[in-house]
Amino acid sequence: MIKGKIIDHTSLIIMIFSYIIIWMLKTSFPEYSQMLTLLLYYIAIAQAYNIFLGMTGYVDFGYVSYFGLGLYGMALGVSYASQNNLSSSEAIILGMILSVILAGSVAGVVGGIALRLRGAFFAIATIGLSQALRYLIEGAKIWGGAEGIIIAKDLRKLFGEEGFSYATIILPDTGIFILAVATGIIMYLIRISRLGYGLLAIKEDEDAAKVFGVNTTLYKFVAFIISAVLTSLVGSMWTLKVTAIYPPESFNITFSVEFIVIVMLGGGGTVLGPLIGASIYSLSKYYLGVYLPGLQLTVFSIILLLIVLLFRQGIVGELRSFLYKHEIVRKIIR
Amino acid sequence: MDPGLIIFLFLQGLVLGSIYGIVAVGLSLIFGIARIINLSHGALIMWGAYTALTFFVGYNLSPLGSLFIAIVVGLSLGASIFYLVLRRLIGAHELTTLLATFALSIFLEEIARLNYGLDYRGFSWSLGVVKIFDYRLTYSSILAGVIALSTVIILTLFLYKTRIGSALRGVAQDPVGAYICGIDVNKIYALGIGIGFGLAMMSGVIITMYNPTGINPYLGAPYLLKSFVIVVLGGLGSIIGAYVGGIIFGLAEVVLFPLYDYLHFHSPMSMTLFTEFVILLILLLIRPYGLFRR
Repeated sequence: MIKGKIIDHTSLIIMIFSYIIIWMLKTSFPEYSQMLTLLLYYIAIAQAYNIFLGMTGYVDFGYVSYFGLGLYGMALGVSYASQNNLSSSEAIILGMILSVILAGSVAGVVGGIALRLRGAFFAIATIGLSQALRYLIEGAKIWGGAEGIIIAKDLRKLFGEEGFSYATIILPDTGIFILAVATGIIMYLIRISRLGYGLLAIKEDEDAAKVFGVNTTLYKFVAFIISAVLTSLVGSMWTLKVTAIYPPESFNITFSVEFIVIVMLGGGGTVLGPLIGASIYSLSKYYLGVYLPGLQLTVFSIILLLIVLLFRQGIVGELRSFLYKHEIVRKIIR
Repeated sequence: MDPGLIIFLFLQGLVLGSIYGIVAVGLSLIFGIARIINLSHGALIMWGAYTALTFFVGYNLSPLGSLFIAIVVGLSLGASIFYLVLRRLIGAHELTTLLATFALSIFLEEIARLNYGLDYRGFSWSLGVVKIFDYRLTYSSILAGVIALSTVIILTLFLYKTRIGSALRGVAQDPVGAYICGIDVNKIYALGIGIGFGLAMMSGVIITMYNPTGINPYLGAPYLLKSFVIVVLGGLGSIIGAYVGGIIFGLAEVVLFPLYDYLHFHSPMSMTLFTEFVILLILLLIRPYGLFRR
């Protein structure tokens, strides 16, 4: 934190408050529980991605790779644990560690090479990553190849028949909630730290930031790794929910774009942006699917286009510049 | 390995590479002029393929005729999309234009899906086959390669030998400077994006000449992904670079595929695609802004 600066915690308080409301809704309306978990999942990933995309302005099209590697890390951990008769908690911890190691190392290599590029070049350089990982898994037939990994049997063995619903519903739901809160807080801490100001300086003008003594390469790299690792943890929890993973779904580039849309919708680089973006995105996607089945993507594309034209800096960003005169609004939507 | 196979693979690689090249040229042109990464390129390629299919099945028009229809439709679509949407986004952050073109691509794909359904379609347009030693290459695929090459040559001549071409290059270099020189920058943007869209739809027709089967609403996605790699290979915004990048890519693909097959990999096609990405990463390490960028 920067000394001598009075830090205002309004946006953090609003964020925590929203999380509490979501959790209360989730416990009091069990019929909406899975929809709210989906919402929390989008929030967690959007917050994690925001640390990189929102703060630096670099677009990573391969971002789904870190999510996919998280999925695979947990699946590998669980199947290894079940083969070697480890306990259930050891299996989960092993899975999370594997997720972090896989995503962290791939992010390290890709970040080390591609972060030397800027803007459009970076976006295009990363676009093939998820496909490359998918083809490697399918082509070299590692980690089950195209057949994927199915962990339902292993989970039954580890948690017992009666513990199965705990392992596939309660545990991942709680995990995703904790991750959503944690990524939000980490994002906030980065936002008010030296790192955060450095990153925002990079977003505004990278050359100027460099001249003023910001270690741009290091800052971008750190944000990239933190972001990738957090997303992989969300992925590792998601594996427990879906219990079967396949390369095409795990490394689907559409998810990358989906994550970008959510961050942009809310407003990149703001603490509350991902929360708002994820809520609007997941709810509108869900209800468009219910009321206009078959047409939801067509309607969605038109809405997206309108949002891009009307809210160029995202909803939170646009509100901020529109209402910047009013101090209270400024506090809320920082 | 017999020499016939090598010559055949080389020719096939040239044809395939030429097609990849024309796809990448359109993408590179739009970026070069308007600084927009066109994510709807794949959807436009798909619409080009459907144009060829519709006119072949409905009006018995050969893909050669569809080429011109595709160019005209692409040009007008590109210009109208520019005036409707993209004009407001020139100079905005790359993310914004990415999202806009992504929305456009979903829209185009969905219209195709609602109109044609998800079935794989195809038609048979045969000009006969040429035998190279013991291997067969269809005349239509050779024609596809030749058309792609001549299009790039015509485009280069247009850009470097005509007044409008130099206006396009001027705007690409410096829009403000071009404006001061009296160039109507918006018209030039509309023209540039129109040519890019036209090239995309045209390459869709060319793709059906190479392989007239497997036309479906998501046909363009793999070409889009590959052309991103190619464009980085050749240097974003460079026309010649994109085309040469495409040729290199096509040649690499026809060499790598039999190699992995020979080495008994589980899925040689997947390994080929993986290797292409690794090559891209290594290239970025050596030449961060492409092979042909000055």
